[in-house]
Amino acid sequence: MATATFTDEIVSLPNGRSQVVFRGGAGDPVVYLHGGGGLVLEDPLLGALERTNEVIAPVAPGFIDLADLEEIQDVHELAMHYDDLFEALGLEGVPVVGHSFGGMTGAELAAHYPRRISRLVLIAPVGLWNDSYPVADLFAALPTELPGLLFADTSHPAAQAMIAGGEGEPDIEALMPLMRGLTTLAKFMWPIPDRGLSRRLWRIRVPTLLLWGGDDALVPARYAEDWGAAIAETSTVIVEGAGHIPTVESPEQTLAAITGFLSGVAVS
Amino acid sequence: MKFHWFHLMPWPYLPDDMRERYDSVYVTLPAKEIYDPVRGHDVYNEYLDELEYADQMGFDGICVNEHHQNGYGTMPSPNIMAATLARRTRTAKLVVMGNSVALYNPPIRVAEEMAMLDVISGGRLIAGFPVGTPMDTVYCYGQNPATLREKYYEGVDLILKAWRSDEMFSFNGKYTQLRYVNPWPRPIQQPHPPVWIPGGGSVETGEWCARNDFLYAYLSFFGYQMARKTMDMYWEAVDRVGVDHNPYRAGFVQFVGVADSDAEAEKLYSEAGLYFHNRCFYISPRYFQAPGYLSIETMLKGMKSQMKAAAEMQAPDLTWKQIIERGYIIAGSPDTVADQLTELADTLNVGHLMVMLHYGNMPKETVLHNTELFATKVMPKLRDKFSDWEDRWWPTDTLSELATPAPLTVGV
Repeated sequence: MATATFTDEIVSLPNGRSQVVFRGGAGDPVVYLHGGGGLVLEDPLLGALERTNEVIAPVAPGFIDLADLEEIQDVHELAMHYDDLFEALGLEGVPVVGHSFGGMTGAELAAHYPRRISRLVLIAPVGLWNDSYPVADLFAALPTELPGLLFADTSHPAAQAMIAGGEGEPDIEALMPLMRGLTTLAKFMWPIPDRGLSRRLWRIRVPTLLLWGGDDALVPARYAEDWGAAIAETSTVIVEGAGHIPTVESPEQTLAAITGFLSGVAVS
Repeated sequence: MKFHWFHLMPWPYLPDDMRERYDSVYVTLPAKEIYDPVRGHDVYNEYLDELEYADQMGFDGICVNEHHQNGYGTMPSPNIMAATLARRTRTAKLVVMGNSVALYNPPIRVAEEMAMLDVISGGRLIAGFPVGTPMDTVYCYGQNPATLREKYYEGVDLILKAWRSDEMFSFNGKYTQLRYVNPWPRPIQQPHPPVWIPGGGSVETGEWCARNDFLYAYLSFFGYQMARKTMDMYWEAVDRVGVDHNPYRAGFVQFVGVADSDAEAEKLYSEAGLYFHNRCFYISPRYFQAPGYLSIETMLKGMKSQMKAAAEMQAPDLTWKQIIERGYIIAGSPDTVADQLTELADTLNVGHLMVMLHYGNMPKETVLHNTELFATKVMPKLRDKFSDWEDRWWPTDTLSELATPAPLTVGV
């Protein structure tokens, strides 16, 4: 699958802040909100989306510079930040696709500013908590445990690359982007990734696709039931045999479900 | 030079096979399985006896500290320990090392309790404000590592302002909002007790201490040989701020075992030393870090050494020989110990030495023996060190006449 061809730009916001956004493709805009690993342009999902749409992918504040988080204290201000960004980009009533932490961010944006979003795709989102199947503690995970938390099949090339990267002397400079990303996640997810979203989810009235890897060891797929019960109009797709990053681990089924849902084709 | 007797109050009945059965001595070690409160009654009281003995033997300070949910230090509230010591000691200063400010809500609680301790003890309190380890703060107490340090700094600001201010004030902080700040009681020491900051070697903490004239105490627990780089970094920070190299603006912890001979030292202290390193320090690396707990700058400078230290903590097969060679514990005859402590003082330029004379599962009689030998045979050899310097980080308002607690009478 071809790698997406994206260019980055800095969008100035009226409050003096700025936001880095990657853009690729052409057509009706779709916003993609990345997960805790940062924006990975090689993600097959981006390539698939840009074939039919203009893809707008902001880099979450904090991932490039932690100082960008100083004025963003909580999920409410995070949602407000994205509302500012959408305003600056002239985005109103657009589809949003979010993965994991990006899924939580998208859901917060949709709950806070419902008119910004026309359709919502949530891929293994965090943001809810159920004592019966708790979200795993990503922050306390040892580097050697991460592949097992993120992938159903650790022999997958992406998992193997992660394992290889964790061997030998750690390259501190290379780890910095990951540490910034995890610190950002911690700000909005520590110690339990529940900031009251369940009380706001009723405000999401747009069609919402809940997509999960059936073997997600980080955020169990059973959370799809909790999300489905709280949002009015949902479809759920469980990708069997995939873990927390189904777009990478089982791209065929995952991308078909997402692109189908975005084009208005019913999914099941 | 001043000498302080530091107790961690570990759980002395950690099982032999804890490494096979459990993930970590900290955070998740099951209290219901391991902690026995009836045994704990004797353990706490013996530990307090040891601290009280240190007062009688002429130590300048006795130190307690705060840790949560672990078998390494069973003292979640150092203030409770200091309170009992305030009534049962006469001269030693009470070095509370200290209260992890961000864990108290609101942090004005710390100003209150420390003022209580200062008043009960007659002006003998030293106020320590640690950030707290990742295990304590973010894992056991659920603080957010991304904002912990900012919250800590704000809390320290509030406490000091409360002590220093002549008027009631309102505090509109990011983490604490108080309409009426007017804590009772006020401390005897005016405007406030000396502030000591226990640190683990982060770049910004040393510089912050120098700028605010706080004592910086490096609690490495890996001995003075390993501490050189960090203390050099601290004194560089002191230079950047432009203040003097007064050794009394620095403290350091060293494990010590004094015996009649070097061979006797191994016999007396090796089991306890190995117990400390192999059981008390069996901290899972998963709880030894958290994203945002350290600044990017500190991580860049110190992550490798920290990871190395963490790996060494995990080493299941550490031997007494290694512990001695690496200087984790200074053990031997009074001359051996005094020589090495002189080297410690010279190389680190530390005026406040906090000695661990109890560690691991050391029996009480051995602790008292170690304490007596240290006080009578080692301390005198080092007493005059740094006597040219004024110690400005020491209580000056201690009352000359202390109230005498009534003797125990009924039912003893």
